[in-house]
Amino acid sequence: MRNRLELTLLIVILMVLGIGTTIYKIKVLGFSFSPDKKETVWTVESRINFIADGGPVKISLNMPDNRGGLVVTESLRQTKGYKSSHTLSKAGVKRIVWSREDTPKGPQHFYYRVNIFRQKSAQKVARQKPPANLPPLSQPFTDVYLDAAGNLIKEAQNPEHDIIKTSSSLINQLNSPETNQSAALLLDMPRDTGGRLNLASDLLTQAKIHNRVVKGLVLSKNNRNKKLSSYIEVFDGKKWQLLNPKTAEVEDPDAFLIWQRHNESLLEIEGGSKAKTRFSSLSTKILANQAAIKGGQQKHSWLIDFSIYSLPLASQNAFKILLLIPFGALIVVILRNLVGIQTSGTFMPILIALSFLQTKLVVGLILFLTVVCVGLILRALLSHLNLLLVPRISAILVFVITIYLAISVIGFKMGSEVGLNVTFFPMIIISWSIERMCVLWEEEGGKDVLIQGSGSLFTASVIYVLMQNNFIGNMTYAFPELLLVLLAIILMIGTYSGYRLSELRRFEPMGRE
Amino acid sequence: MLLTTPKRLRQRGIVGMNMRNVVYIGQNNQRKFYPRVDDKLQTKVLAEEAGIAVPRLIGVARYQSHTKKLKEFLAQETAFVIKPAKGSGGKGILVITGRDGEYYLKPSGSKVDDRGIRRHVSDILSGLFSLGGKPDVAMIEELVNFSEVFDGFSFEGVPDIRIIVYKGYPVMAMTRLSTKESDGKANLHQGAVGVGIDIGKGHALNAVQHGQPLEVHPDTGRNLKELIVPDWPVFLELAAKSYEMTELGYLGADVVLDKEKGPLILELNARPGLAIQVANNHGLISRVEQVEADRGKYRRTPGERVLFSMQNFAL
Repeated sequence: MRNRLELTLLIVILMVLGIGTTIYKIKVLGFSFSPDKKETVWTVESRINFIADGGPVKISLNMPDNRGGLVVTESLRQTKGYKSSHTLSKAGVKRIVWSREDTPKGPQHFYYRVNIFRQKSAQKVARQKPPANLPPLSQPFTDVYLDAAGNLIKEAQNPEHDIIKTSSSLINQLNSPETNQSAALLLDMPRDTGGRLNLASDLLTQAKIHNRVVKGLVLSKNNRNKKLSSYIEVFDGKKWQLLNPKTAEVEDPDAFLIWQRHNESLLEIEGGSKAKTRFSSLSTKILANQAAIKGGQQKHSWLIDFSIYSLPLASQNAFKILLLIPFGALIVVILRNLVGIQTSGTFMPILIALSFLQTKLVVGLILFLTVVCVGLILRALLSHLNLLLVPRISAILVFVITIYLAISVIGFKMGSEVGLNVTFFPMIIISWSIERMCVLWEEEGGKDVLIQGSGSLFTASVIYVLMQNNFIGNMTYAFPELLLVLLAIILMIGTYSGYRLSELRRFEPMGRE
Repeated sequence: MLLTTPKRLRQRGIVGMNMRNVVYIGQNNQRKFYPRVDDKLQTKVLAEEAGIAVPRLIGVARYQSHTKKLKEFLAQETAFVIKPAKGSGGKGILVITGRDGEYYLKPSGSKVDDRGIRRHVSDILSGLFSLGGKPDVAMIEELVNFSEVFDGFSFEGVPDIRIIVYKGYPVMAMTRLSTKESDGKANLHQGAVGVGIDIGKGHALNAVQHGQPLEVHPDTGRNLKELIVPDWPVFLELAAKSYEMTELGYLGADVVLDKEKGPLILELNARPGLAIQVANNHGLISRVEQVEADRGKYRRTPGERVLFSMQNFAL
């Protein structure tokens, strides 16, 4: 009983660890079960121009927010002659600072390039709650303007309108002052800062709608030399929605890279003038799992840092195959202990399946059968010689190599390169299989050889079909922790004492009344 | 019906392969005791110490140098068997039934000379017949003088009685009769006939071939119901005693009947198969449960265990 408890506990721990890590990787790190799932990656380049006064120069650029499911990796920030560093303000604003002591006088330019991809959809991220209190207005409404604002808000606040509709209706009114007196009046209001955008924001705040002005790039298309555009984010009670201030329409937040969320300046310069920055963006697609790995590396997630992905590519490729082998073992366990299929050699089917991966199934089956049949005939000739085991196996090995050679040469001379694939079969394993099958033939008869042989080939074929399946390949490679789950299943089957499927047939006469 | 249901098999108390391996063998047979049955020489030595009747051991050839002394050693023996101690599946067994001058005679009547005997022993020593080709030793034992009571029940050879012993209690028995189809081999799935033997009285219960019941032997035509094992309690006691000797909780004992010496244990098996259930048309589980219940109450001698089995497992 104690054994039983230990085992159950072990299985539960393995399951929880394996499945927990997998869920974490999917939910937090953005891995995907689907091998073909693609993520969009944007390369955003900002070109900074300025006229240097000559002498020391310090330029700082606001960095895009590395929050809200966005992963920003810098791909280019070094410029010849400039030192670069990062600063982080108390408000959480990240900036990159370039400085140089001896800038020559005259026009200067350099580039800053980042790769950006979404870890999580921005729609999910946008759920964070706004602060309890509305922020102060950038400029309070007074006298007539207060009335005009009140009128506008009253017109917009149709009882059938939700917050978003009210907001876009307010923005629309501001956008068409020729048809709305109150709007025209408000637009004429003398303002200290900002223009129509800040007015719209203030109006929304006045209407008790949480909102904020953000600046960023529309990523949906390829841009060249764009300035950042301003949008208004409105909280609709559940999540933040992005409103285009020009069209008053809701935009897809996934296609918008927010560069500035606070009112911080975009570019600051000391020791120069006429600084301006222009943005270009280019979108490409990469595999979701690749993106997740990059994101994980950026965040220094230990699950990524200490994993296959930290290995050189060649080793990663080797592990891609190796990680499939436990899966093959599981299939063997299931077919042998739950179904009751007989195979010759426990793990021979896995190795044959690996060979099939190289040769493809039909060619592999034909080649395997040819080699084994010819090998069995030659081995039968050895039977009378009563050789000792090791010399016998060695002799079979020589036969096997000879058969390989014959198949390859004859096939090639006949104009087919299919035969050349035969070298992918593991010759030692094939030799042992031939020996075992021959002994089986002598001891139990040809019927048993047929049963075990076809059982082995069937098992190998099943393993092959599953191994070359893209989905399973991705699953074992992207989620190596599933090995723990696999182990748990194998342990469970290891103590399964129920009937095998084949026994329902074997004992069928005893089940009769 | 092509398949039966797990529920039906459970009702009938049938033990499946997984249950045999995980529960019966896994929990009752300690690996360290396996050599006691896998090495037939050890089995024989232990059996003789425990006073269990086995065919008498004439000698053992351990080294190649022993082969030269064979002729001298066998000078007084007329009928004997040479077999590998760790052979599998009956391979490498040489039976000599008599002498013809310089020659030894095989059961088929063909002659073997001294060199033939030497080469056979040499092959055994070098591991030709052992599992994995490991070096082995050759045992020379007395030929069993088979009783005639089973004549006509088997196509070739003489049947032995397989008794399953659970923790010292004989729980089920059968005999395997070779047929023409099985090529003289006593292997059920090659077409030999399995006959269940009643633990209570030692007479045949029902016979099956390929899982289908039958009345008479397909080749000899003898009515299989007439098969009765004489000295049945002695058979059972031999089997029961082998539990103390091997300390294996789930054990198969193969017993043969010698004309003069009575029942002899020929071989023991730590992984006995499950076909015996089909031959008996009865599952093992209920009997094993009865044994466990009895073991919980009493500590019994082999003789008492045999009585318990004969009373409780008779059909």
